[in-house]
Amino acid sequence: MAETLFYALALAAVGFAVGVISARSPMLSVLSLLGAFVCLALVYLLAGFQFLAGAQVLVYAGAIMVLFLFVVMLLNLADLSKVAEHPTRVLGVHRVALAGGSAALLGVLALLASRRIPDTAADTAMLARGFDELEPIAVALFSRYLLPFEAASLLLLATMVAVLVLAKRARAPQGPREQAQAVDAHGDARGDASDAARELEGAGLR
Amino acid sequence: MPELPLWLVWVIKAAVIYGALLSVAGLMSLAERKVSAWMQYRIGPNRVGPFGLLQPLADGVKFMFKEELVPAGANPFLFRIAPALAALPAMLAVAVIPFAGEIELFGQRTTLSVTDLPISSLYVLAVGGLGIYGIILGGWSSNSKYSLLGSLRASAQMVSYELSLILSILAVVALSGSLDLRVIADAQQADAALWNIARAPLAFLLFVVCMFAETNRHPFDFAESEPELVGGFHTEYSAMRFALFFLGEYCAMTVMSCLATVLFLAGGAIPFWPDAPWWAELASFLVKMSAFLFLYLWVRWTLPRFRFDQLMRLGWKVLLPLALFNLFATAALMAAGVL
Amino acid sequence: MVIVKRRELTLAERLYLPEIGRALALSLRAMFRKRVTRQYPEEPLPTNEVTRGQPRLVVKDDGNIACVSCGMCEVACPAYAITIDGGETDRAIEREPKRFDIDMLRCILCGFCEEACPKDAIYMSDELELADFSRQALVYDIEKLKRPRSALQKRIDYVNKLNDRWRKPSSTR
Repeated sequence: MAETLFYALALAAVGFAVGVISARSPMLSVLSLLGAFVCLALVYLLAGFQFLAGAQVLVYAGAIMVLFLFVVMLLNLADLSKVAEHPTRVLGVHRVALAGGSAALLGVLALLASRRIPDTAADTAMLARGFDELEPIAVALFSRYLLPFEAASLLLLATMVAVLVLAKRARAPQGPREQAQAVDAHGDARGDASDAARELEGAGLR
Repeated sequence: MPELPLWLVWVIKAAVIYGALLSVAGLMSLAERKVSAWMQYRIGPNRVGPFGLLQPLADGVKFMFKEELVPAGANPFLFRIAPALAALPAMLAVAVIPFAGEIELFGQRTTLSVTDLPISSLYVLAVGGLGIYGIILGGWSSNSKYSLLGSLRASAQMVSYELSLILSILAVVALSGSLDLRVIADAQQADAALWNIARAPLAFLLFVVCMFAETNRHPFDFAESEPELVGGFHTEYSAMRFALFFLGEYCAMTVMSCLATVLFLAGGAIPFWPDAPWWAELASFLVKMSAFLFLYLWVRWTLPRFRFDQLMRLGWKVLLPLALFNLFATAALMAAGVL
Repeated sequence: MVIVKRRELTLAERLYLPEIGRALALSLRAMFRKRVTRQYPEEPLPTNEVTRGQPRLVVKDDGNIACVSCGMCEVACPAYAITIDGGETDRAIEREPKRFDIDMLRCILCGFCEEACPKDAIYMSDELELADFSRQALVYDIEKLKRPRSALQKRIDYVNKLNDRWRKPSSTR
């Protein structure tokens, strides 16, 4: 029963994941990602990790995907085919990024394959108790895995700064009021759409 | 009384609790109109049934029989599914609310909640947070600028205020040392001085403010914002799907009120009556919950709506730092042994 | 041009909460104030003699309507709402309408019929409600238009008072 459920959920998760990169409309793409997250949460639940499942739904499905949807709606990316048609983009930076990313991924996989994760007594005890209790997770997060944890947060911070730098290239709308106006101008389908488009382009968002 | 199998008892419990939730949501639609009338020197609906008590039923029948329209250019699948997505999470979230302690039901000892989870407070937040998808997708798939703007605002608002909401709950979780709502409620049981409203008043204040924002209610109802956006995200909706959005909103309000009761007012506990029977606990729970529901209406018909930039400033620059400070202060006081 | 100086908010006002508390107290008090709602069909608005509602036929004390089917009101009616078929009786006043219909959907409540009537047989009542499920049901016949004199007395007195202004011999005429 549990095994069948697991395989069904895993298949669904992979299916959604394929949907993320194959969907034509960005909205469907985001929704597929949401489906994948929910499937993952269910897999955690199946394994008895209730806290993890809850956190997964709360953080990824509840907050991060909302932001994704927000951005997709804000940009109104109805059609991404133009990006694909642009030959220089595919040939240029994107190739390098693709190669670098693939190399990094292969490296990580090789690293993971080469070393067996030690199955210590503490881990076994934690698994036996499950993640229902916050304490073992907190202890693990803030002692044994403190460095990876902090490194991950640093990576996120760096990403955020990078995005800000990219977005700041031209004058970005400042303050929530102007941002709201930019949104209004864009949301107005019959209004001067090109204005909003230019503004978004200026903000480096297109 | 015949002894029933445990699963049947669970089914009965779930049916009763969901029936009650939907009834409360229906009555809230009447209460909304009644309270608004009372605050404006009016009487309010009183034609259908005594004191208008059957008004929600009449409204429901009307919604059922109205024509349903799908606007041209809308995404039909998302448009149709969005109201259900908006109403479902709140209904799911009520499953873990501990209304009262153990009861004897058809020969089985059981607790008065649909289920008990060790991470129930997290569950409520996680499932409740999904309610925003109904609003976002409904707004986006309507192919209308008003709907789109309404759902854009709603998503920005929900993300901003969910943080403060979770942080304010975390302070309470830290005080009780558990994520289980039943444990949190029981920890406050002994004495009114142990109620979290007394031990963490700032967290309570933050929770109440965020509670309004999370359910998109006045003064934070930017998802609707009638004067600017016609009807906001539900501009294009009609008939029962329109009603589902409201059902979801009222259910979410009810769940939030239940959550506030459990987290800060010790659930069904009655001061100076430590071993009250379960029906007294249930009654006390319902009274406390109704007080929060009335607060929702009271505020709605009193305060004007914020401006959107004010809303964002309040969320990020005031509530979030306050919530962080509150969590830190609570932890520090606990470490110092004061709390 | 008027320059409005915006008042600096005090600290208490900028904190929102005290002001919110004041507002909430205000609306809570309002809940217990006297209601202003008038529950219409049960509590109708009082009418007075000036009220010009739907026209009705006066029934004399002997039980017969005062109308002699002269047709003056039919002619006066700007909306062509009145239809009269004349007839005879054996009583001292020999003429009586066999049919007197007012189409209430056409009637514009102008009161010309009341003014035109030489026999004081038609008066504007204080009845204002008009609702039914078919157009035909809103064409009122004699039976529906009949009202005892007492029901119209207020309006009759008022019209008499108005008419007295013209009937009195005056020094200028």
